[in-house]
Amino acid sequence: MQRIICICGARPNFMKIAPLMAAFSKADGIEAMLVHTGQHYDTKMSELFFEDLGIPKPNINLEVGSASHAVQTAEIMRHFEPVVLDFKPHWVVVVGDVNSTIACALVASKLGVKVAHVEAGLRSFDRDMPEEINRVLTDSISDLLLVSEPSGLKHLKAEGVADEKVHFVGNVMIDTLMKNRERAAQSKILDELGLSPKEFATVTLHRPSNVDSVESLSSILDAFEKITADMRVVFPMHPRTRKNIEALGLAGRLDSMPRLLTPQPLGYLDFLKLMSESALVLTDSGGIQEETTILGVPCLTLRENTERPVTITEGTNQLVQPNADSILSAYAKVRSEGPCEGHRPELWDGHAAERIVEVFLAQA
Amino acid sequence: MRRIVTVVGARPQFVKAAALSRAFAAWNVGCGLAGFRERIVHTGQHYDENMSKVFFDELEIPRPVVNLEIGSGRHGEQTAAMLVGIEEVLLAEEPDCVLVYGDTNSTLAGALVAAKLGIPVAHVEAGLRSYNRRMPEEINRVLTDRVSSLLFCPTSGAVQCLEKEGIRRGVHRVGDVMYDSVLHNARLSAGSSRVVATLGLGSKAFCLGTVHRQENTDDIDRLRSIFSAFGRMDLPVVIPVHPRTRKVLLGEGGVSDNVHLIEPVGYLDMLMLVKHSRLVLTDSGGLQKEAYWLGVPCITLREETEWVELVDCGANQLVGASTEAILAAVGRVERGEVGVDHRRAPGLYGDGRSAERIVKILAGEEGRGVCSDADC
Repeated sequence: MQRIICICGARPNFMKIAPLMAAFSKADGIEAMLVHTGQHYDTKMSELFFEDLGIPKPNINLEVGSASHAVQTAEIMRHFEPVVLDFKPHWVVVVGDVNSTIACALVASKLGVKVAHVEAGLRSFDRDMPEEINRVLTDSISDLLLVSEPSGLKHLKAEGVADEKVHFVGNVMIDTLMKNRERAAQSKILDELGLSPKEFATVTLHRPSNVDSVESLSSILDAFEKITADMRVVFPMHPRTRKNIEALGLAGRLDSMPRLLTPQPLGYLDFLKLMSESALVLTDSGGIQEETTILGVPCLTLRENTERPVTITEGTNQLVQPNADSILSAYAKVRSEGPCEGHRPELWDGHAAERIVEVFLAQA
Repeated sequence: MRRIVTVVGARPQFVKAAALSRAFAAWNVGCGLAGFRERIVHTGQHYDENMSKVFFDELEIPRPVVNLEIGSGRHGEQTAAMLVGIEEVLLAEEPDCVLVYGDTNSTLAGALVAAKLGIPVAHVEAGLRSYNRRMPEEINRVLTDRVSSLLFCPTSGAVQCLEKEGIRRGVHRVGDVMYDSVLHNARLSAGSSRVVATLGLGSKAFCLGTVHRQENTDDIDRLRSIFSAFGRMDLPVVIPVHPRTRKVLLGEGGVSDNVHLIEPVGYLDMLMLVKHSRLVLTDSGGLQKEAYWLGVPCITLREETEWVELVDCGANQLVGASTEAILAAVGRVERGEVGVDHRRAPGLYGDGRSAERIVKILAGEEGRGVCSDADC
């Protein structure tokens, strides 16, 4: 019997862990436990998602909460170590690139427990991003690296990772999307917000480089103002972004844009429905770049770089400098060119979690 | 002025840091405001009574400005406490660069906090690999190298290890700072150390042994096997031993008559013991090199080593914990089949001026890495 601990801590993790836990529970010879580090503790960010996605309640919640990088990482490590000593797993499975990812991987590796990283090998090569540091470090101490797109294979090879540790399995986030498309279609969010299909844009922003400075945020809001003259914009707001807008004195600008809607963060199903019916999406999130590619919705990624190049080469994504001119020019182009084609990237077929389980069973 | 915060936690790191501090001081002469200001942070990972004022003064080591007093503990717990303490210091000091050494939890903690705060990390003794992931030290050094902007490698072998991992930017082969220290301190200890006389032993009439790696001390079969070999050797074997290991050994029924367990000794005394021993048997990385520099053959009680060059040139034999393998290696030394000949690998670890080289690079190009190969 292989004992496996799966880690989740932040919202992006939940969509990835759900299909994994489901696949593990069906596998003979695997006993999986879910540990939630509590890195994200906001109900809107956490519990809502668990319910929507049908993720089993975590066996343990470390309830670490928010803090500086060092303190949060430290608290997760401190609380996770006794869990490993107690449960004595054969594997610790971490996903993505948040502090919970590296903290739990480090604790496991020092205790001689094997580490598997889901979504391994992604690189933006931007060391100013804490996510890049987290993912690079996690990969360097992982025993099994489960890769979602071909660029990941290339990067890991360049970093000297042995081929036998690396497996191209596809994208677990897309497993969740495909499983929930029909349920999401039932969502009433469009009615609730008074929107018509394909006649609005969806926006999400949370990166410090976009939301921490008054210059960048103002410029982005300038673009939104112009866009709202053309169509409504829905901007479900991350707590950090909302806090910043107030702190930077920009709340007034939002008030002056009646066609810019700023609901609280939405549950998974509502948000999936919103994205799929959008004319386009503007975001700086990692996962949304992937989801829009599968949904066939044009995506403008407000960043200088991306660690998901397949969404650009095969999908509906493009990088746009986060300033008003660049955003508006890209917006105009999308509007004039109409809906885009985009191919479904290799292995983004809803079966990634199954493949991952097969890899584990082969390790035994 | 360049502000440097140096993070150390274990005794060998202090000795290396001292070499850098001397080099900073030399550089600063006549520099006015353009020099370096270094603050040393001791995580307290090793609490060591030998770290008394006398030790600091004798070795001319600048005192740390902060001691986080973390102490020993489980890896996760200890590292976690260091992350928190180091972050506080770095937020207060706002250095231009964080300097870390080697492969301890203190090294990793310093590097990780600095990286997340966007402060460039310089790693002294970068690129070493045993390729044994069961060693906590290997994990620490692999991770530290990944987030370092400047990687100071002691040997060209280390540069190649980094190359294999796709790390080329900021890599500099500078030689081994520990060699700087040995040259400086062997002179000091010759004047002051009385340890060999106190033990009542003659020069070259004993062997020196140390056993402190987890893989040996925490595995009773390996420990027994090693000490069984010690007991069957002709010469007396002097072993500075950690109280925890001593307890285990006494619990096993003690040691043979020719094996002398002694209290851990200070750094200068240790250099003297190495210098006057016939042979060193150890699982420590640093001691393998110190033996080489002091001309003493070494037998390494591990299956792999980061210092492969020493094995290649015949100065060091890798034998693991097997009693017979250890004794066979001892035999080869006694028969003169292997030994230390510095001519076989000239300039292997540089020329004793590595610290000076590091300071020049820090002065010229902190944080902006350019691949260079400074010939030693």
